[in-house]
Amino acid sequence: MSDIQEAMRSRAKELLESGEVNAVIGWEAGRFENQTTPLITSQAAKTQRLVFNEYCVNNLGKYPRDLTAKGKVAIFARGCESRAIIRLLSDEVIKRENVYIIGIGCPGMRDRTTGELLKKCAECRHGDPVIYDEMLGEPQAKPATQERFAEIQKIEALPRAEREAYFTNAFSKCIRCYACRNVCPCCTCRQCFVDQRREGWLGKQNNIAENRFYGLTRVMHVGDRCIECGECERVCPMDLPLMSLNRKVIYDINNLFGEYETALSLDEPPSALTTYKVDDVEEFM
Amino acid sequence: MIIKKDRMGALLGTLAQHKTVFVPALIDGVSKFAPYREGLDVRFDLHNTKLPPKDLLFPQTQKMYRYGETAEGGHYVEQFDESSERVLFGVRPCDMRSINLLDDVFLTKGFVDEFYEAQRKKLLTVCITCAAPAETCFCESMGLSPNEAPDADILLKSCEDCYKVTAQTQKGEAALADWRDFLEDTQAQVLPGKTSLRLNFEGVPQKLSRMYEDPIWDEISTKCLNCGTCTFVCPTCYCFDISQENKMKEGVRFRCWDSCMFSEYTAMAGWHNPRPTKKERVRNRFMHKLCFFEERYGKTLCVGCGRCVECCPVALDITRLIDDIGASDA
Amino acid sequence: MSMVETTPGAWEPKIVAFCCHWCTYTGADLAGLNRMNYPANVRVLRIPCSGRMNPQYALDALNKGCDGVLVCGCHPGDCHYSTGNYFARRRMLVFKRLLEYQGLEPERFQVRWISGAEAGKFRDTVTEVVEQVRALGPLHLNHELVLSGMEVE
Repeated sequence: MSDIQEAMRSRAKELLESGEVNAVIGWEAGRFENQTTPLITSQAAKTQRLVFNEYCVNNLGKYPRDLTAKGKVAIFARGCESRAIIRLLSDEVIKRENVYIIGIGCPGMRDRTTGELLKKCAECRHGDPVIYDEMLGEPQAKPATQERFAEIQKIEALPRAEREAYFTNAFSKCIRCYACRNVCPCCTCRQCFVDQRREGWLGKQNNIAENRFYGLTRVMHVGDRCIECGECERVCPMDLPLMSLNRKVIYDINNLFGEYETALSLDEPPSALTTYKVDDVEEFM
Repeated sequence: MIIKKDRMGALLGTLAQHKTVFVPALIDGVSKFAPYREGLDVRFDLHNTKLPPKDLLFPQTQKMYRYGETAEGGHYVEQFDESSERVLFGVRPCDMRSINLLDDVFLTKGFVDEFYEAQRKKLLTVCITCAAPAETCFCESMGLSPNEAPDADILLKSCEDCYKVTAQTQKGEAALADWRDFLEDTQAQVLPGKTSLRLNFEGVPQKLSRMYEDPIWDEISTKCLNCGTCTFVCPTCYCFDISQENKMKEGVRFRCWDSCMFSEYTAMAGWHNPRPTKKERVRNRFMHKLCFFEERYGKTLCVGCGRCVECCPVALDITRLIDDIGASDA
Repeated sequence: MSMVETTPGAWEPKIVAFCCHWCTYTGADLAGLNRMNYPANVRVLRIPCSGRMNPQYALDALNKGCDGVLVCGCHPGDCHYSTGNYFARRRMLVFKRLLEYQGLEPERFQVRWISGAEAGKFRDTVTEVVEQVRALGPLHLNHELVLSGMEVE
């Protein structure tokens, strides 16, 4: 990984110095041991702070949304970043010519305190970038998990009352900080329904009913476009099982409308819930 | 006067018979202050609970008034009083200090918030000193000490297998009567705590007051996600919104936590927003913590508990900001 | 529509039916013209098309005290806007499963295609849903609503 880190620094420096890009998005070391934090810089000198190690836990894929208005950005992209960028491109949030993608193979990232492989990385199916302009180092070809829906099936197998208790308990813990929304590369609405105070979709009080409303609506809004990067679950300060909701929608789409995995290439059919087939499953006669 | 650590459970059981005793506990993987009951996973060993104790005095959602039309065609307005006798047991010095700061906000400068005041008067605070602060703790740099809590009613100083008990207020003195059966009149060696994370906060508020237009805000706000995690886990963030829910001819007015990180927080009629982008919002949060509050109350609003450092999804670290400001030549 | 005999204080299920303007709403109208009886527990809300059915409407209805939600539209192929109900079908298939997954009883959220001519089907569907929900009892969403205890009409 250290040679990749060196290559990152020199490529970032070149790109900024040549004026090819306006900013570079990567990671730098945090204050604490094994901690990293996103580094977004336009200064060639600061590229020496770039790091790449097993603790680069942040998915940087959403940052181009805020940055491409000011010009082209270069981003270091593993599987999750590259899919996030495809998401932003398909949703027409950013333009392809405004983002320069430098691919890096990813072996999976670790928790800073426990040293264990992150849950999101254990569940990851595409460690290597699915789109890039250039590649640093070799793809890692990390084997994809065979248990994509294991968690869903486990919850589905529970009796209804237990499922209700499980999710009621989860929603009761939510503090509605909206970290899950803000980190999500699929959440790109100019104005979120949560912020539409006049329309009054969501009350501001924190209670299970409102939290459930937020949680389920979020899933319906992003479910079919979810790239399964698991960032929502990682950032949740209350450790809510958010991916078990997102993946449920994907699981059903899989079962109902055929094998489904989104944001793997630029020429994909529209997301499952924004299209239809005349002969779709019929249950409502 | 000391109390053995293995007697704490029995003490809590006794105290909980008369009052609701809030203790640091691990519930479903989230640590917070929860009412003591038999079988609760009480964790005095945690440095800081993930959620701060501010919820006890300033609930995330607090009912204030109910109002409506009476059968005779008149109107009524009733005030809620949901305050009760409570003990906050096992709070850490940083959180104790945060309550002192909230007192300033809700009870001084000519404004008294009756909801806060009612609950504050009924709160007994029992503070435990930190023998081994966490790596993210930096209270000493913010003018606090992990070994003292001058505002606490009762102070428990951490020793090897016991706590040294001191009543620091009359309220605390009176409350110790219930503790009699559990106390022993012996001496014990207090374990002093020391934070490993040290910052130089000297002059930072003064520098900040000259840095309103500094490019540093562009830099740090780019990384910020603009979620409300830091404000909700912060023991001193006290911003709230007042709203109401109406049904037919009745309604309830409540207040709930709000966050300066949210765009909607400063939105005005006609959707004018004086803090239109992330930059202004991030700037406001840090300015408020480290500068504005100091100017108004003469105290820093950050107590160095390290929760935001721990919880921030992008590791946007207030301690690094303090370092950067200290190093700048503003 | 017949008036339901209610004893004061006795619980009656409350159902919201989101009905497409072109088919089901017309079907409900026809049921009325034909003086068909169906339970008054249902409140019919007109939406322009089942494709307009926002999942948030259903969540809000359940949160605000309804015991069940019924979504109705034109038969696939008969949409006034050609394709609205095809989109609705996909979304509702997924949404219904999501609701059930997180603990809602399947009977509390139902979707049916009912044309403007199917007054009888409208009556039968509504009666069936009301009876199913009645058998389940009130929906307690563990509310903690600030207005809990206040009755909504």
